[in-house]
Amino acid sequence: MRYLNFLVLLFVFIPIKAIALIEVDITRGNLNPLPIAVSPLSIDKESNQSLKEILRKENIGSEISIVVENNLKTSGLFNPLNKDAFLQEADIVHLKPRFEDWALIKAQALITGKVTYQDEKLRVEFRLWDVLAGKEMMALAFTTVPSNWRRVGHIITDKVYERLTGEKGYFDTRIIYVAEEGPKVKRIKKLAIMDQDGFNTKYLTLGNELVLTPRFNPTNQMVTYLSYFRNMPRVYLLDIETGVQEVVGDFPGMTFAPRFSPDGKKIIMSFAMDGNSDIYTMDLENRVVERITNHPSIDTSPSYSPDGKYICFNSDRSRYQQIYIMKSDGSNVKRISFGKGLYGTPVWSPRGDLIAFTKLHKGKFYIGVMRTDGSGERLLTENYYQEAPSWSPNGRVLIFYRETKSDSEGKGFSAKLWSIDLTGYNERLVGTESDASDPSWSSLLSN
Amino acid sequence: MLASLILTACATKKVQNQMQGDVYTGTDTVKYLASGVADRVFFATNESVLTTASRDTLRKQAEWLRKNSKINVVLEGHADERGTREYNLALGERRANAAKDYLMTYGISANRISVISYGKERPVDSGSNPLAWSKNRRSVTVKAN
Amino acid sequence: MIFITALSLPFLAKKPIDLPPIVSVELIQISEKTNIPFAPKAKKIIEEVKKKEKEKVTSEQAPPKKVKKEKPDAVPLPDEKIEKVKKIEEKKQNPEKLDNEIKQVSEFEKEELFNPDNIAALIDKSKEETAETTKKISKITQSQDKNVDASGLTLSEEDALKAQIFGCWSIPLGLPYNENLLVRIKLELKPDGTVIKSEILDHARMNKPGQGFYKVLAESALRAVKLCQPLRVPAKGYERWKELLLNFDAREMLEG
Repeated sequence: MRYLNFLVLLFVFIPIKAIALIEVDITRGNLNPLPIAVSPLSIDKESNQSLKEILRKENIGSEISIVVENNLKTSGLFNPLNKDAFLQEADIVHLKPRFEDWALIKAQALITGKVTYQDEKLRVEFRLWDVLAGKEMMALAFTTVPSNWRRVGHIITDKVYERLTGEKGYFDTRIIYVAEEGPKVKRIKKLAIMDQDGFNTKYLTLGNELVLTPRFNPTNQMVTYLSYFRNMPRVYLLDIETGVQEVVGDFPGMTFAPRFSPDGKKIIMSFAMDGNSDIYTMDLENRVVERITNHPSIDTSPSYSPDGKYICFNSDRSRYQQIYIMKSDGSNVKRISFGKGLYGTPVWSPRGDLIAFTKLHKGKFYIGVMRTDGSGERLLTENYYQEAPSWSPNGRVLIFYRETKSDSEGKGFSAKLWSIDLTGYNERLVGTESDASDPSWSSLLSN
Repeated sequence: MLASLILTACATKKVQNQMQGDVYTGTDTVKYLASGVADRVFFATNESVLTTASRDTLRKQAEWLRKNSKINVVLEGHADERGTREYNLALGERRANAAKDYLMTYGISANRISVISYGKERPVDSGSNPLAWSKNRRSVTVKAN
Repeated sequence: MIFITALSLPFLAKKPIDLPPIVSVELIQISEKTNIPFAPKAKKIIEEVKKKEKEKVTSEQAPPKKVKKEKPDAVPLPDEKIEKVKKIEEKKQNPEKLDNEIKQVSEFEKEELFNPDNIAALIDKSKEETAETTKKISKITQSQDKNVDASGLTLSEEDALKAQIFGCWSIPLGLPYNENLLVRIKLELKPDGTVIKSEILDHARMNKPGQGFYKVLAESALRAVKLCQPLRVPAKGYERWKELLLNFDAREMLEG
């Protein structure tokens, strides 16, 4: 008993006496992008020779590192350092970085790697190093056909991004959009698809008829969009790999504003009849059509929550275009936008906590986000005309399109894709071969 | 300086002459189905209500359609560029249907009239100004055969 | 009645897009390389130790799910590995710290072998237990501290230290702004302000689901400490501050 008492005393007293730990609160730091060095990937002579013949690139190792570097820079979270300042050569640094050299040029992280060509495959190894801690943070290798080299760069960026930010990346992704050309009064529009960084553009339609609002399914193999084929505006489904396409449902009028459900099994869209647009779904397996809203107003631009339980949409049932949410069966309709102006094109974020939208107020267009109950509205960007945000798969970046003013001859008009961070910073023009609109971001292609 | 003042004055006057409220009342873009039968009606921003002038135009179209009973028509509904694409498709459809309903009340059978919306995809005036937008907010009656 | 009309493709571009085959991802084989060459003449630094050192390359991230792993027979057993690492470490200066690093490597690899999906095991897990106890203790002391200010730093001393660390800390920009963004790091210091040991309290949080950002935050705090070395500590009273607790909190900055 006494012994026990003694123990208790010990426990109480010792900490207080022995450890009076001083605490210092560090509540500030710098918010500069993380300085990172992307060393050109090293490549042996033989591999370089073979790959040069196949890919017609002088040095595919440095090309891949440039892909990574550009991605990191575009994210706004990293500051890739100028390669001229590098003190170590690619072939040596890959084996063992001399951290002091990299610390000297203020790099906090370092990417090194090696490219080889074996059995007709491109093999890329890379390592991510914590320069200050002097240790390896990650090492991976990829094997693929040589023509896939840009994708390897994107996947490397995703891995690095995830390791250094704690969030999934969004670089191994594609954008589907509408490529535009010709005068405003007779615009030619084609479906186009490209890598997230603007490379590898491919056209899916020839431009013979008007096409609008393409969107990926969750596995990125299917696209749903609106086509004016035979002058009947209808929602279509296109299998990108086979090229097979079909009309979705057999509606006696215009169907539009399609999107997939998060499980990919349904398409949700609007159907317009006798001047009234309502929201419908069609199950792609059993072709069953369900009517979700039934209201004499315009109900359109539906988008599911990531868990599939809710739908957000815009409606003018309160006279002007506003954002509403409801359960996925159409019950419990609730208006959530109450700010000044009109609100449209709500899109639920992949994280589930936010809804991105377009707002029109006093002749200006805004892209913004609000919580799913309508609180916490934040306007990210203001412009003459912009709309139709689409989320990056990690929910951190929005892509949308922006149009410029024109005179009565249509001069000055352009339509371009832009991206902006959820924070409202890092606004960037997304390069496209032609004018572009209606972008939709794919999910990650790998994993 | 003086010249530009005069020009501005003229432009303003012109706009006033061609718009009532923000509904287009001019004839620049109007085509005719037959002599005296205008092919299109115009709408106020975000509206699909027919104006008095529009109803007048549509009555003439109905009369013409009664006389030419073999002609079918397509009503093409349009919106201006100052709205989101998907909403504008719905709005164009609503406008064309407003015109269709009116034709029907004047005895034109529904199966002679079809409706299509182009939203903001097919403007007649490329300009980014209120007058151009007013010309683009329209429902156009087009012969289908 | 609902139909799907399959169309022939008059309005499709002729060739459907073929998506290139999915890239396969593999874990880099653990291998040994001898006689690592060093950069010929990088400006300042002359390395003394290393020329014949055996080096080991480990990979820290488990492969994504689809991925084929390379044959495990190439991977040395954890025990074997520790020994090899030890050989290297003996040559270096700071035995205590290195000892931890050895454990890190082995702990980590065990983790990976048994659970390839768990990637959040960067920092020594063997510390967890001590960290937990320290945490309990420090909770008690925290409340005490307020009364026992005499043993703390003076305001100017604290400001000097803070100002220095503010400059070194690059706050990771991808962090979720609506989470708890506090990382507590306990330091053991030499009289000149160099760090003998740094330890993340609440280390367990790193491996919790949805807390991936915590590791990133913790690493950034550790980097800040490293970058700032030697810390601007008071000239006197080593006993007071030889152990120091830094509370890194990014919230204010990210909300700002």
